[in-house]
Amino acid sequence: MLEAFLSSTVAMAAPLLLAALGELLVEDSGVINIGIEGVMLTGAFAAMAAAYATGSVAAGLGCAALAALAMSALFGAMAVNLAVNQVVAGTALDIFALGVTGVFYRRMFGVTGQALTVRTLRQVRLGPLSHLPLIGPALFHQNLLVYFSFLIVPAVWLALYRTRWGLNLRAAGERPEAADALGLGVYGLRWQALMISGVLTGLSGAYLTLGYANTFVEGMSAGRGFIALAIVILGEWRPGRIAIASVLFGAALALQFVLQAVNTGIPYQLFLALPYVLTLVVLTALGGQSHAPSALGEPYVRP
Amino acid sequence: MPTATSSGSRGNIVAALGKPLGALAIALGIVALALAVLGANPAATFAALLSGAFGNWLAATDTLVKATPLVFTGLAVSAAFSGALWNIGAEGQLLFGALAAAACGVHLAQWPRPPAIAVVLGAGTAAGAVAGALCGWLRARFAVSEIISTIMLNFIAVQALSWAVHGPLMEPSRAYPVSQALPPAACLYRFLPPSRLNAGMIAALALAPACYVWLFYTNAGFELRALGKNPRAAAFFGVPVGRVAVFAMGLSGAMAGLGGAVQLSAISHRLFERFSPGWGYEAIAVALVARLNPLAVVPSALLFGALDNGAQAIQRAQGVSPVLVQAAQGLVIFVLLAFDTPVLASWRRRGAVREDLASGRADA
Amino acid sequence: MQGLLEAIAISKRFGATVALDAVDFSARPGEIHALLGENGAGKTTLMNVIAGHLRPDRGAIRLDGAALKTGSAQAALHAGIATVHQSPMLFERLSVVENLALGGFGTTRLALREVAQQSAAMAARLGFTLRLDQQTLDAVSIAERMRLEILRALSFGPRVLILDEPTGLLAPAELSGFLDLLRALRDRGRSVILITHKLAEAMAVADRITMLRAGRVVAQTTPSQTSAEELAALMVGGALPAAARGDTRDGRGDEVLRLAEVGLEVGGRTVLEGISLRLRAGEILAVAGVDGNGQHELTEILAAVRHPSRGHLLIEGRPADAAQMRRIAVIPQSRDHEGLILDLELWENLLLAPSLRRRLRWAGMQRRAAAMALCRQVIERFAILAAGPRQKAAALSGGHRQRLMVARALESRPAVLVAYDLTRGLDVRAAADVARMVREFAAQGGAVLLMSTDLDEIFELGDRMAIISRGRLLEVAPHDRSAERVGLLMAGAVG
Repeated sequence: MLEAFLSSTVAMAAPLLLAALGELLVEDSGVINIGIEGVMLTGAFAAMAAAYATGSVAAGLGCAALAALAMSALFGAMAVNLAVNQVVAGTALDIFALGVTGVFYRRMFGVTGQALTVRTLRQVRLGPLSHLPLIGPALFHQNLLVYFSFLIVPAVWLALYRTRWGLNLRAAGERPEAADALGLGVYGLRWQALMISGVLTGLSGAYLTLGYANTFVEGMSAGRGFIALAIVILGEWRPGRIAIASVLFGAALALQFVLQAVNTGIPYQLFLALPYVLTLVVLTALGGQSHAPSALGEPYVRP
Repeated sequence: MPTATSSGSRGNIVAALGKPLGALAIALGIVALALAVLGANPAATFAALLSGAFGNWLAATDTLVKATPLVFTGLAVSAAFSGALWNIGAEGQLLFGALAAAACGVHLAQWPRPPAIAVVLGAGTAAGAVAGALCGWLRARFAVSEIISTIMLNFIAVQALSWAVHGPLMEPSRAYPVSQALPPAACLYRFLPPSRLNAGMIAALALAPACYVWLFYTNAGFELRALGKNPRAAAFFGVPVGRVAVFAMGLSGAMAGLGGAVQLSAISHRLFERFSPGWGYEAIAVALVARLNPLAVVPSALLFGALDNGAQAIQRAQGVSPVLVQAAQGLVIFVLLAFDTPVLASWRRRGAVREDLASGRADA
Repeated sequence: MQGLLEAIAISKRFGATVALDAVDFSARPGEIHALLGENGAGKTTLMNVIAGHLRPDRGAIRLDGAALKTGSAQAALHAGIATVHQSPMLFERLSVVENLALGGFGTTRLALREVAQQSAAMAARLGFTLRLDQQTLDAVSIAERMRLEILRALSFGPRVLILDEPTGLLAPAELSGFLDLLRALRDRGRSVILITHKLAEAMAVADRITMLRAGRVVAQTTPSQTSAEELAALMVGGALPAAARGDTRDGRGDEVLRLAEVGLEVGGRTVLEGISLRLRAGEILAVAGVDGNGQHELTEILAAVRHPSRGHLLIEGRPADAAQMRRIAVIPQSRDHEGLILDLELWENLLLAPSLRRRLRWAGMQRRAAAMALCRQVIERFAILAAGPRQKAAALSGGHRQRLMVARALESRPAVLVAYDLTRGLDVRAAADVARMVREFAAQGGAVLLMSTDLDEIFELGDRMAIISRGRLLEVAPHDRSAERVGLLMAGAVG
């Protein structure tokens, strides 16, 4: 029971973590992408469509990344090059993605999409470690995307804090006009962050379809992209803390299944609402000491 | 000699209409292209859309019915966005409004009609106001981004609604997850049956100018707009930033909540899951096309109401999913944003008469 | 002799305003070349063109005879042109070493320890030290920031170093050391371009002087061939508006504002401490100080948007409640960010002033007609170049924006006018006009508290003088009113 909960927690945390790390890079460059929800949904759909068409999970992952890149590029053109309001552009992206995935889904699979299933990512058992009591299945018997999402945490940290690129990126998010004056190329940095985030968010979406649902449902990202935004705030824009925050929200999501299985008499909607309530409570408790990059969300027009 | 630039809200009519209609045209052009790629006939699809929206008397009145909640949520978004309060939560506020209206309404069977309706609409308004003001307060007091908090409340509202129709408000036979119907006393007046024209539309039409007057003619509206245009200056000159945020978010939520109550009381009479097809999100497109001008929200909502209504028809006629309209909404917002890009403005400025930039840059 | 750096026939327009008109400029190795001119003469624009931050409409930049790609900061840096900006282009929330590392220390690997070592060595060669252990720039002083930016600029190994008004933010006591630093750089064969509007500085340190006026080169000379007087005449183009001091000194009346031991803590840091002052009707108290010594917070307290942690205010002898506080009108330092809302119309900007907002409303509604009428009057009376009340503030030029701010403050009929940097960034005439408005207000019995970073403004307008340094206020006795003495006080060297 507890073992299943822990395992489920890690599995639920993985897509949140992938998306949050992507969003972290984008936000460190000074751009806030509310459209991450739509990018994730697009990734989820593309993964399912490609995996269904080809029967290959790898093709699903690849297509998810590509489709998410396209969505991120649309956002990048608006938010970076045209310097429009990032919140509104991100929201438009969410609405757009909901519509586009819906149209394609119904066109390809009909309104109900009944009995539509795809192969899922294989669970990989890491030798005898996976037999450890309690934490074995949670940490060492997951699919490759779960391992990947946790392994890139130190990679993101290294990139941000131990490379010149990461420093340039943070400078662009701190004071873009000064970064440009130093010849760092703010637009280029922001695009690079958006593209990496696109791939990560696309994989995160793919995880929803290929990782556990093994089907697609319209609007199935169900606010996970928005939760990733909150995770970045809660994680104070640090990769390690973001990983911890992701696990916390993963637990909130996992709790639904555990508690639904046990008949507690508590309405299940309460558990479904739990991650969202948790987001509100946690942000309120943080009380607004902001660790956000200084230029976050401010459109930058090169002089 | 510097020249005054006309504002979107008060420029001449051609200029004011040009951008939104142009954006719509471009967005629909892209949709047509996508339809062709998908193998549907764009012309036939648009024809079906148009006839679905205005093809006959009933269809036309139904377009008005579909536009009504969009007027309420569109006004909600316009008011909040005017103060740079990014209320993405009109959806949740509308649902909370409908939920409160239903919870009160079912108990009013014995009441005379006018007070019963007043209670139902009042409950919806109050619930929406509380949901909105809560986010304003969280922002003012705890610096919680209203973007995140309003989005979270949207999801919470969906679950609350689901719980209500599976639990306390479930219809007596308990066979379907829908609420018990409102008693006739709590239902808004309808006109000219079989059309579903109703008194809620009159309320929507009256609310738009009221909102306009509030925003552009009152001190509170001025303070909100000042906050939206330049929060630092507003704070420096004593605009009570926190109070304005709470009040404006409350007002915004109230209008969305009223929209939910009107929809319940005039049209659906029952609550059910997916009560709103996304009116709160669509409202963002409605408000932006109206350039945040409350008076322009009415025609803008009509436009989107027509799209929604026509979209039902294209499914039948062309096998194209009505969610296409959502993709179009997103596109309309993108195109509108692109029209207003500051980058374009700075290109234009190179030839234009603008002393301000020169003085700002040439100052040593 | 050919220059190392040549700017040839550079022209740049902003809308209808010609910022640079076929300007030729050159810099040789091993010289300090001062670029002089009034505010708005085009100095900063020229620098931005040379450094690749702005693309000129016409003209070319050459380095050693080879054309340089214009409009690219990266190309300029690669070619060896580095800049130190008027307000340092630093990153508040990066550490000191990270700020340095953004300079020319290699492109891929981030070796912060090496950056720190090299920077320390470089600083030692130039004769100063820098605290490299700071994790953010919160506690880094203005002078340190300037040095930090100079170090970072030098890390690119530039052959041409451009400094834009670098001494504007330095206290006078820090100046001579700074000028020595420039000489040291010159002696190492660098080409130093010093942009300034301070004649004495240019005379003291420059090998060559180029003077810009209204976007054109009006003189190229050397200190030995000219004099400060000649330069001054060139700079303003002859007609200097009469800087007649008003005779405000006599008509002094009753005390209108008193601050008693006002202190302020922000986030556990003491920003203001034991501020006491008295201001009488008809006088101008000028408070000199380098930015960031508490002026901003004091302005906010007087604007009633911040409450002092200690002490109290008396206005016209009464405790400062909300109504009394409205007897103070405030002109903030930053016109475009704090003073005006550029996207709103002129009449709406008038209504930003709390007392006008109160006066021009009824039952929660704005009295639009009255506000428009007042705005029309203001436009006429203060000679604001505007089409009418419905014009947006963004369409006003800098000088007219400042007039609007002064007009708004005076229209709210205050007992006390508080201004911070009254004439910053204005051309000579606009500055003189604005100063005249304020003097007239004092002459008619108003009390003025003027805070400024500009000593000229302080000496020109102040009846009494005080210094603000590290949140403390110190009144300067009349016999102490020399520039040297005030300079020393500003630097915290005395008292």
